[in-house]
Amino acid sequence: MVPFHFIHTWYQIIREQVKKKGDWFQNTSLEITLWTLTLMATLQSDIISTVEFNHSGELLATGDKGGRVVIFQQEQENKIQSHSRGEYNVYSTFQSHEPEFDYLKSLEIEEKINKIRWLPQKNAAQFLLSTNDKTIKLWKISERDKRPEGYNLKEEDGRYRDPTTVTTLRVPVFRPMDLMVEASPRRIFANAHTYHINSISINSDYETYLSADDLRINLWHLEITDRSFNIVDIKPANMEELTEVITAAEFHPNSCNTFVYSSSKGTIRLCDMRASALCDRHSKLFEEPEDPSNRSFFSEIISSISDVKFSHSGRYMMTRDYLSVKIWDLNMENRPVETYQVHEYLRSKLCSLYENDCIFDKFECCWNGSDSVVMTGSYNNFFRMFDRNTKRDITLEASRENNKPRTVLKPRKVCASGKRKKDEISVDSLDFNKKILHTAWHPKENIIAVATTNNLYIFQDKVN
Amino acid sequence: MEVQKEAQRIMTLSVWKMYHSRMQRGGLRLHRSLQLSLVMRSARELYLSAKVEAHEPPEVPSSVARSPDPRLHPPREAQAAAEAASTDGEQPCPEPMDTQEAPKAEETPARCAPRPAKVSRKRRSSSLSDGGDAGLVPSKKARLEEEGAEEGESAEVPERLQAPPAQAEGAFPNLARVLQRRFSGLLNCSPSAPPTAPPPPACEAKPACRSADSVLNVLVRAVVAF
Repeated sequence: MVPFHFIHTWYQIIREQVKKKGDWFQNTSLEITLWTLTLMATLQSDIISTVEFNHSGELLATGDKGGRVVIFQQEQENKIQSHSRGEYNVYSTFQSHEPEFDYLKSLEIEEKINKIRWLPQKNAAQFLLSTNDKTIKLWKISERDKRPEGYNLKEEDGRYRDPTTVTTLRVPVFRPMDLMVEASPRRIFANAHTYHINSISINSDYETYLSADDLRINLWHLEITDRSFNIVDIKPANMEELTEVITAAEFHPNSCNTFVYSSSKGTIRLCDMRASALCDRHSKLFEEPEDPSNRSFFSEIISSISDVKFSHSGRYMMTRDYLSVKIWDLNMENRPVETYQVHEYLRSKLCSLYENDCIFDKFECCWNGSDSVVMTGSYNNFFRMFDRNTKRDITLEASRENNKPRTVLKPRKVCASGKRKKDEISVDSLDFNKKILHTAWHPKENIIAVATTNNLYIFQDKVN
Repeated sequence: MEVQKEAQRIMTLSVWKMYHSRMQRGGLRLHRSLQLSLVMRSARELYLSAKVEAHEPPEVPSSVARSPDPRLHPPREAQAAAEAASTDGEQPCPEPMDTQEAPKAEETPARCAPRPAKVSRKRRSSSLSDGGDAGLVPSKKARLEEEGAEEGESAEVPERLQAPPAQAEGAFPNLARVLQRRFSGLLNCSPSAPPTAPPPPACEAKPACRSADSVLNVLVRAVVAF
């Protein structure tokens, strides 16, 4: 348990109580899962821009617009109270990226962290990749809980002793000290992207990773920083002919030769690196023909895919466009196998959403550990979950006012038109400044992290 | 008419957003610019098709006679203004190479814009595509090319009103052209032309709500920025 005085000033932690009892279910079914708030952390000065659990789920990393990374750690389960799941406390905070200035182009490079990806743990230290618009950094986070004491030539505070005062010799020993978590940059992968980096993805070989910007995807080796291979390049010879950009890319979780990238036109391309060095020609193209009845002035914009995520099994992938979440079977290219409407009631409001820039919001999506439920964010601090097996969905709200200790999150409902029932919220009273763009699901348990503009909420299912 | 006003409003809004996005930290975002230009193009097509429908019957006979003059003179004036503005703009602020390609791509306007007075633009856009990668060269040269091409096309007929989309493939419409069309449109319309739709809540400065003069100032500043 990290003592309170280690909680950094970046986050002010307001802890809510969690009900503790009994077993929990591995396979989430939305009907029986009741979510309770276990942690709400307020980022005092900045906007959260990415959230990511590590492979074991013990650590949760958040990146913000100020270039900082804050890592939360789940406290180790108390063996006696084996039914309770540990709470998350701040583990480490560091400044990952600083604002830079590109003198050649007279452009400022934002320090905002666009993505964080964890490497699987190989030794005592943890490693993660964090990226801003132009530079990717590999950070090592290590713990130090012992320090050597009893030097012969140095005092405890570091001053050198006068050698003539040394009358006996002793062997320095390691003694416990207060836990210190250090983050150090081990690799800096820079100068490989002309456009803004939107994704990074670590390969299943755990040696290479890809980084994608608007027009190009590069392949890196984690050990080598001075060169990368360009594997996708969709820049047209004549920029006037530009019609689409890359919006997200990810490696397949099991096949180290396969990756996908999504485009602003709503297509996903699956590429096999064995086919050729430059994967400009896709192996598979996933595209759903547009429904002509839904065609509108803003159709092109809302079909742009903002996030693509493979399922843990590797059989499916999920894409998020402005209004819906689609699940694709990798074996079927002509249409998704499942489509879930996130906030269809916004379809008639696209013009206003264009005016207030909300139509450009890039929502992310995530799978739960067993690939049975998918989750994504919406406006008014709502987030939605869709159960693929029961076809049920639920809308929940991440807000401080509504979450008192010991209560379970109440499902919300938006009333699209007509008579508004009690407890429903009408579309016009939605707050479009309160948006949930980033969500993450623990890889093994029913614990979710939901980021509102500058608050991080961690919910877990109520165990009884 | 309603459609036209709405389209005009969206066009103005898009132009304003594009200008505003260049002021953001981190510079021009390619994806955002692409999306804005898509909307702008759709709005323009909508606006122009609505305008054509409104004006077509009476104008077809007269426009042929009219066209040599309006086409040659206003565009040249506007070009001169835009040129001057852009050269001023480019000297203090050297454009980034990659983002410069974007505004250069704007040289291909949606000038493929079918409009009675600007019919010759379409042809020009294709000739410019070849020179479009003089993206590294300031716009002055490109415009000089246009002027040369334009003079050879004075005999164009308004049949080109319905532009094939192939011409409109340029992702970034020529901002100067759009702005020029915008404010010439505004000048022709009554002062109430700036749309009365409620201002976008997120925008602090809403050109659509100001008088035509203020809009002009904003648009000219935008040209300078590009």
